[in-house]
Order: sequence, then C-alpha cells, then structure tokens
Amino acid sequence: MLTTSLRIAQKALKRNKLRTGLAILGMTIGVAAVLTMFALGTGAQESVSADVRSAGTTLIFVRSGNFTRGGEESRIPTGMGSTNSLVPADADAIAKIDGVKYVSANVKERTWVETSNQRFYTQIVGADVAYPDEYGWTFQKGKFFKESDVASAAQVAVIGSSLRDHLFGDENPVGKEVQLHNQPYRVVGVFESKDDEQADLAIIPYTTAQKQLGTSSIQMVTVSAEQAGDTTRISDAIKTLLRSRHHLDNQITQPTGGVALGGLQLPGAGSGGATPDDFTVKTQSSEALTKGLNTSVAAFILANMPQMDQTNSQEMAGTLSRAGSTMTALLAAIATISLIVGGIGIMNIMLVSVTERTREIGIRRAIGARQSDVLQQFLVEAVSLSVFGGIFGIIIGFAAALTITNVLHWPATISFTAVALAFGIAAATGVFFGFYPARRASQLSPIDALRYE
Amino acid sequence: MTSKIPVISIRNLTKTYQMGEVAVHALRSVSLDINAGEFVTVVGPSGSGKSTLMHILGCLDQPSRGQYFLDGKDVSRLSDDEVSSVRNSKIGFVFQGFNLLTRTSALENVELPLLYGANPVSASERRNRAMAALAAVGLESRYEHHTNQLSGGQQQRVAIARALLNNPSILLADEPTGNLDSRTSVEVMDIFQSLKEERGITIVLITHEPDVAAYGSRIIAFKDGVITADELNGQRRTARGELAEIPEVVQETA
Repeated sequence: MLTTSLRIAQKALKRNKLRTGLAILGMTIGVAAVLTMFALGTGAQESVSADVRSAGTTLIFVRSGNFTRGGEESRIPTGMGSTNSLVPADADAIAKIDGVKYVSANVKERTWVETSNQRFYTQIVGADVAYPDEYGWTFQKGKFFKESDVASAAQVAVIGSSLRDHLFGDENPVGKEVQLHNQPYRVVGVFESKDDEQADLAIIPYTTAQKQLGTSSIQMVTVSAEQAGDTTRISDAIKTLLRSRHHLDNQITQPTGGVALGGLQLPGAGSGGATPDDFTVKTQSSEALTKGLNTSVAAFILANMPQMDQTNSQEMAGTLSRAGSTMTALLAAIATISLIVGGIGIMNIMLVSVTERTREIGIRRAIGARQSDVLQQFLVEAVSLSVFGGIFGIIIGFAAALTITNVLHWPATISFTAVALAFGIAAATGVFFGFYPARRASQLSPIDALRYE
Repeated sequence: MTSKIPVISIRNLTKTYQMGEVAVHALRSVSLDINAGEFVTVVGPSGSGKSTLMHILGCLDQPSRGQYFLDGKDVSRLSDDEVSSVRNSKIGFVFQGFNLLTRTSALENVELPLLYGANPVSASERRNRAMAALAAVGLESRYEHHTNQLSGGQQQRVAIARALLNNPSILLADEPTGNLDSRTSVEVMDIFQSLKEERGITIVLITHEPDVAAYGSRIIAFKDGVITADELNGQRRTARGELAEIPEVVQETA
C-alpha cells in the first residue's frame, strides 16, 4: 500500500511541476540554512577551541630554583646549573595529580646545531614524549621520538620547521644527521608550531640531554592541565607536593630578609617565614604577563594577583561558553523560523491540492478507499515534498559550507549528525504540516467529495 | 425467489437535507426490497429523491432515519472502514459523469478497486485482471489511453469495467446514459442486460427517461421522495436487438 501511495504521490506531484518545485524550494532553503548555520557554528566552535588549545592556557611551568625571589637568591632563568632541586621523579609525581593531562621533564641548553655545511645557534630542549602534545605540534615529516628513545637516552633529534629550513633547505631531513657538541644525532621528525619561536627548536630526549650535561636533575617540568580553568588549583597542588617531596617544611626556619615590603606578599614564601621554595611554578598566562619584566617587578605583580590565572581562564571559558550558547540560540531560532516557513509552504500546497482533488478523493472513497488510505496518500505526498526539499537542502548546504570555507576562509564543518538531523527535521516537518491537510482530505464525506465541482 | 433474503432491503428510509433555512425532504419513509438478479430501474423527475436513494444504497450517504439491510446486515451499524470495504467488494458504481481519474490511463482506472481491497494483490495480477475487465467491455486495445483521449461511450465502458472488477453483487448506475448519444446509450444498456442475464448481477439503475427505464425487469417510479409505482416490466426493451437496427454514426477507430 505504501508503494502505491508513493506512486500516486509521484504522479500527483509531477502533475503540477512548478507548484511542487516551489514547495520543495521553500523546504530546501530552510534545510540548507539550517545545515549551513550548523556547519558555521561547529566550525567556529572547533576553531575557537583549537585556538584555545594552541594558545596553551592549560600549561604550567615548574622550574628548579626560586629566581622570582629576587635579591639575595636571584637566579638567571635560562642559565644552566641554577640548582639541581628538580629530579625526574618529581615529574612522575606531578603526573599523578588530579586534572593533569601531560607532563614532560625538560633539560635545556643553547648551542650550535651543525650539519656538514650549515650551522645554527639555537635552543636545544631535552624533553619527554608528551612534549609535542602539550604544545599541539603537528608533524609534516617523520614522528616524535619514542619512550624507548628516552629510556635508552638515544641520540635522536626532532627539529622545528624553521630550523629545518636553516639547516636542510627544502630537503627531507628525516634519517639525516646533525651534530650537537660534536655528537651525531639522527633526525627523526620535523614539527610545525604556531609559535614562531618554537620553530627554531631542536628537541632531544631529556635523558640524552642529562647525559650530555652530566647531571641527574632536570631544569623544568612542563605540565598541561585537562582544563584551562584548573591551572591555579594544580599549581597550588604542585607547590604543596614539591615542598613535601623536597622536605622544605621540615627544615629549620631560616629568616628571610626584606619581607615587609609595604605589606605585599612575596611569592613562594611559606607562611610564617618557612623555608622558601626551591622551585618556581608559573602558569603560562602569568608567564606571558611578566615576560621581559625584571624578576623582582614580576614577583610583585604576581604576588598581588594570586587569582589572575584562574580569573583569566575562567573568564575566557565563560565568555566562550556564553558566545557558544548565544550562537546556538541564534541557530536554533533561524532553523526554527526557516523550517516553519518551509512547512507552511508545504501545508499551503497540500491544502490547495486537497481542494483541487476533492473529486478524486470522492472517487477513491466510492471505490472503497478507507479514510486511512486517503490520509496516508496525502501524508506521503507532503513528506515526499519535504524529503526532496531536505535532500536538495543538504546538497546546497554542503555547497554553501564549501564556498564559505574556500572564499571567506571561515571554518565550516558538516558532521554526519548535522546531515542526519537536517534530514530528520525535514521529514518531521512534512509529517507535521502535512497532517492537517491529509486529515481534512480523509474526513471529507464521500458523497460531498463526489459532488464537488 | 421470495424465500431468499433480499439483497437490498430498506425500511422507512428518510433523508432530510437542511438547505439554508429550508428543510428538503429527499426521501419520505421509503420501504423497498430488491432481490438478487433483478434489474431495477428507478425513474422519476429530477429532485424526486432517486439519486439520494442511490447514494444511500451505495453506502455513500447515510439516511436521516430508517434502516438499510444489505445482504441482511444493518449498514448503519458498520464502521467507516467496514462500509469502505462493502463499497469495495460488494458494490460497483457507474455515474453519469463517469467519475474516472483524469490524466490517468484506462488500465490504471480499472485497477483502482484492487488497490483498496482487503487482500493485497500483486502488480502483475492487478494488471491481468484489469486487462480482462477491459476486454470484457471491448476496450483492451485502448488500455494505455488516458481518460481524456477516450470518447464518452468508451469512458463509460471503462467505468463499467472498473465497477465490475471485484465481482460485486450489486451494480448501481446513476443516469449512466445521461451524457451519451443514443447509440452508445443502447450499447451501455446492452452491457447491463447481459450482465444481468449472464452473471446474475443485481442492477439498480436511476434515470429520468422512461425510455431508458424500459430496459429494466422492474420499474420503480419516484416522485417527491416517495414511491408512486413499483411493477415488473412486461414489455422489456432488449438492447441487443435494437443495436442491430441503429446505424453506426460514429466510426470507431482503434
């Protein structure tokens, strides 16, 4: 019976092609608008969250030494051998803190990277395997080194895309050798970073860097939190953890000089003048804020903005989610309006069709069609209109999303869910707006329908 | 014949329409029995209520009062779906205006009752049965023609083929010759008469022309919603014989 209804519907719809086309067009525009909006919304959300990821607001840097103390204990942040208070086991312990996603131990130095005919002075970072994930690096050639390379302190290196340009030009460096301190390192990968400064880096296993420098300590632990708003809490947890691991609270209290600086608190100074931290914990946003400042100035700024990271990241997350929900509401409104307009178009056409075909309904009823047969026939017709509209709408939506991406360079992503949803909504609109005309058709009295002129 | 249950039995059938402020009494307490195999012609002027009677007999309309037993069953007690099923399987309609689906082929029009039957029928069987019905009215060569490409007589024959497809026990015809010229009218009457003779179908034919009524085996005269005469027709016209005498005016081209 359904196939029969489909055939009757096909015939009826073909009979008045212009009208059918216009009804379908209304639905097409509705579905295409919904799909395009969805694509733009999803794309925008993805690119925003990608920006947030690459901005690295989730990063926390734990460095050995307390150079922010300034004055009597001041240290040079990038210098080697400042202290040897941090060890790889600290990194492992930090990794167990709740909310921590990645941890990478770091040993850094600046030196020459050489090939047979080129040399370039740059920063060498000894790192663990999670390092590229923390910064969201992508690999155009090769891969990052593996855990086994870290375990065996293998002489392998991963270089940034711009360092590759300096040393190798357009050549593929994977498998080739570079020299660090006259030691051969095999290049295993080339990474791309959104941060230009990172594109000059060479990364080697931190164990290899330790061997090179003859140390068992590490200079830094790069920690990334699961959530942006969580960095302050994790920073505090790291401080507590490291103080306990380094037995700082058990030591005899040392008097610290210059505490009373206008009532301002010094960072890292435990309550009641306990032993100062032998490490520094900074979130990436605080690092960005104090970049280039004199360490003492930076210390005061940070000490008086204890909630800065949290506020920043929470505000950002809040703004993003508000923007997101505004967008969603807007999309939903546009979707609803366009679908209602499309649905009304279908309803209008179906009402006209029912009136026009009153006599046909009468004939079918006289021949034995039940009310449900007539209802089904007109419902199938309405749903056919909306489903065809849905199909064309999806095609046009795809085309629009592609055009927007290519011409305007806005990100637009069409997911299978969006397509399925658009299609489902189209069919549902057909049923909803087709039901009233179909019901009206089915409830016509046979004799009145037959007599209708 | 009297021992059998009448195919159609109506008791005190009344139908009143409300036309604005005026109540129109189309039927005033009509009682009537029609037995299987009868060819009843109902004759009367327009407005006499004969069409209303036919609509009620065909289960297209409900009486205001009174009862209608079809094969002994009270139709007023049937649900809408059951009434639809009765129309589909027991009753065949032939109308003055043919009532064929426009822009639809003769074959598809004839197939129509099978679409709404109680049992699903395969497309090929639908086609075979519809072709056989078309052949029975001599139109098998025109099955692909759309209804608007057929002459009035041909359209009425398509309608008859459609009405007979489910082998109904009753054929209801409302002015079937009203839109036809005299020769095609006689042709249609010939079909009816042979249906009665060969298949024993009960036929109720409504007409305002006494000439046409004379083809029936029983003539019921109607006026102002009541039966004024009901008698067996002794001088029945036979269409077969008359056909031979009428010259063919229109040359049918296949």
